[in-house]
Amino acid sequence: MGFDYNSLLAFIIFGVTIGVVYGIVALGISLIYSGLDIVHFAHGEMYMFGAFFGLVLAHNVGVPYPIALIGAMVLTALLGMAVERVFYRRLTRAGGGYTVAGMGMIICGFGMSVALVNVAYFIWGAEAEPFRANLDYIPRLSFPGDIEVPESYVLTAIISVALMAALHYFLRHTKTGLAVRAVAHNKDIAYLMGINVPLMISLIFGLACGLGAAAGVLIGPMQSVQVEMGYLMLMKAFAAAVVGGFGSLPGAIIGGIMVGVFENLGAAYISASHKDIYAFLLLILVLMFKPSGLLGVDAKVKA
Amino acid sequence: MRILNKMFAGVVAAGIGITATAAFADDIRVGITMRMVSENGQAYGQMMMDEIKGINESGGINGNMIKATLMNDECKSDKGVANANKMVFQEKVHLLIGSSCSSVTLPIVDVTAKAGVPQLVPHSTNSKITQKGSEWIFRVPVSGRYYGGVNAKYVGENIGTKIAYICAADAASVGDCANMEKQMKARFGVEPAYRADVQEKEVDFRSHMQKIKSMDVDGILVAALAETMARALVQSYEAGIGEDVRRIGSSSASNAPVPKIAGDAAKGVFFTAAYAAADQRPIAKLFNEMVKTRYGIHAPDHDFSQAYDLVRIMEIALKNTNFTGSLADDRTAIRDAIANVQGYEGLASGPISFCAAATPQCRDGNRTAVLIGYTKGGENFETEVLARVTMEPDFGLE
Repeated sequence: MGFDYNSLLAFIIFGVTIGVVYGIVALGISLIYSGLDIVHFAHGEMYMFGAFFGLVLAHNVGVPYPIALIGAMVLTALLGMAVERVFYRRLTRAGGGYTVAGMGMIICGFGMSVALVNVAYFIWGAEAEPFRANLDYIPRLSFPGDIEVPESYVLTAIISVALMAALHYFLRHTKTGLAVRAVAHNKDIAYLMGINVPLMISLIFGLACGLGAAAGVLIGPMQSVQVEMGYLMLMKAFAAAVVGGFGSLPGAIIGGIMVGVFENLGAAYISASHKDIYAFLLLILVLMFKPSGLLGVDAKVKA
Repeated sequence: MRILNKMFAGVVAAGIGITATAAFADDIRVGITMRMVSENGQAYGQMMMDEIKGINESGGINGNMIKATLMNDECKSDKGVANANKMVFQEKVHLLIGSSCSSVTLPIVDVTAKAGVPQLVPHSTNSKITQKGSEWIFRVPVSGRYYGGVNAKYVGENIGTKIAYICAADAASVGDCANMEKQMKARFGVEPAYRADVQEKEVDFRSHMQKIKSMDVDGILVAALAETMARALVQSYEAGIGEDVRRIGSSSASNAPVPKIAGDAAKGVFFTAAYAAADQRPIAKLFNEMVKTRYGIHAPDHDFSQAYDLVRIMEIALKNTNFTGSLADDRTAIRDAIANVQGYEGLASGPISFCAAATPQCRDGNRTAVLIGYTKGGENFETEVLARVTMEPDFGLE
């Protein structure tokens, strides 16, 4: 029996559509890392909260799906900013990275993850909730070989690309984006230049959590929404961020797509039972040959 | 509710022989470990506790009260084994009930076998549970080997033999897949047209569905826990696989989250279970009404009926037990009393009988599977009964 190129194409296409979602969550993780030198372990829960906010807005409030998406992003951004202001600020003020405060921040992130999961259990319960979205206005994409990409996946790809482009524009072509980059580069100098550093840090958290929420709302119609959905996404997004180069925003996207395609091909041609291994196998391979990740710099030294 | 209890009282009375518990004046300790992470899971556990409370309020077991401990194992084997150890060795229960999940029940069988504690299984279907040779295990639900036979017969004779298999990694689904595959081969001489082993909580079935779509199969068996199954069903339609390709569910398709999450994708799915909410017997109608009133459940699945039947069987066995006050002797006596339960007719679609030998033929007490189809998905799902089949005791064994 010959090799089925149509199946290969299907696996790659579907790998890319899930990969861009990993990418936008990884983008948030990288954004926080590049801005604050910390790894945010509660980011999967922000993704989960975003999905639930979207679900509540779409099903309970009755707003259209695109509005639910924007609403969930705003609400989760506010939640992220509140969490940063109330819980993380004292630690981030004392420093991040390899400092004692940085370590405290990581532990605080773990604690926040557990706390947010339990809050979600309390509010929404343990059962998975279907996220029904009317996406009839989105066309299905057809590829050679009878491959059809459903509406929700087409929308996911479009929104993800649009969000990445918007973030790129914001960071590269606006004054606030420049201030964010200045804070990411060096907080002390940013202070001296008159930038409101705490506000920018809040903004970074808000942006990152908003991106996570967008991923949650996009994934909702494909996979339903449940309290435990954040953990696996966080792991995949971490893999994507590391593969692409931790702290590199384009790297996060490329890493996400690579993880999505790699795990889909692994599931198809090796074993679907161990699908989650492939993301980490890719991570190990990249770390063996390019420890800083594909687009990361070899040694990150801040001014 | 009273009428339902009276109906069961007749059944219970029929099962009770001459009892003698004069020397025993202690509580009868029962430990329960179940998956209680979902609304339904909590309701199963609560219903058991409520039914036990009802027995106590009606005078208990020949004057002795049942003291039940309910623990949540979250369908995790480590937690289930820890719960079982705690209840068996610390609380010194007379009888252990559990678990809902095959992957949890399987290791607990070793705990109860070693400690010499009778174990009643409420929901787990994996065939291996009773094939371990423990003389302490009794299964109230239908074993997966019977489900496999009923599914294969119906599919092969009514749908076709070119079947794709999606098999999740939880113990029940692994067993359901293996049984169906084995029976399809035995009856029709066919291998799976496609087979994918996926993770227990897999979320992305798109590549599999794409492959299956290109194969022009007659049906797709999705053997997975409820939420995973619902996702697979939805994604099968998203991939463009038409309604003419029938979707076959494993026994978890009976669980309410499947039609709730899958919505329209649940329509047309058929599966085997131990109880159908569409059952027209008066006893079933009363039970449905009771569950709806008490727990707000639209239509009870077979996990509810099995939990209920289990409590009634336990009641029969305990009332037939001669308690002595010696824990080891009492545990043995309870085991023997359960083994003597014959022809119990409750909510299950057929009679439940046990016997003394530590074999699957004796300990898989329920041999009647009912074939059910969803006629409507969503919150207010509807089902129809397609067939009811009773299997031979040694069916599906090597």
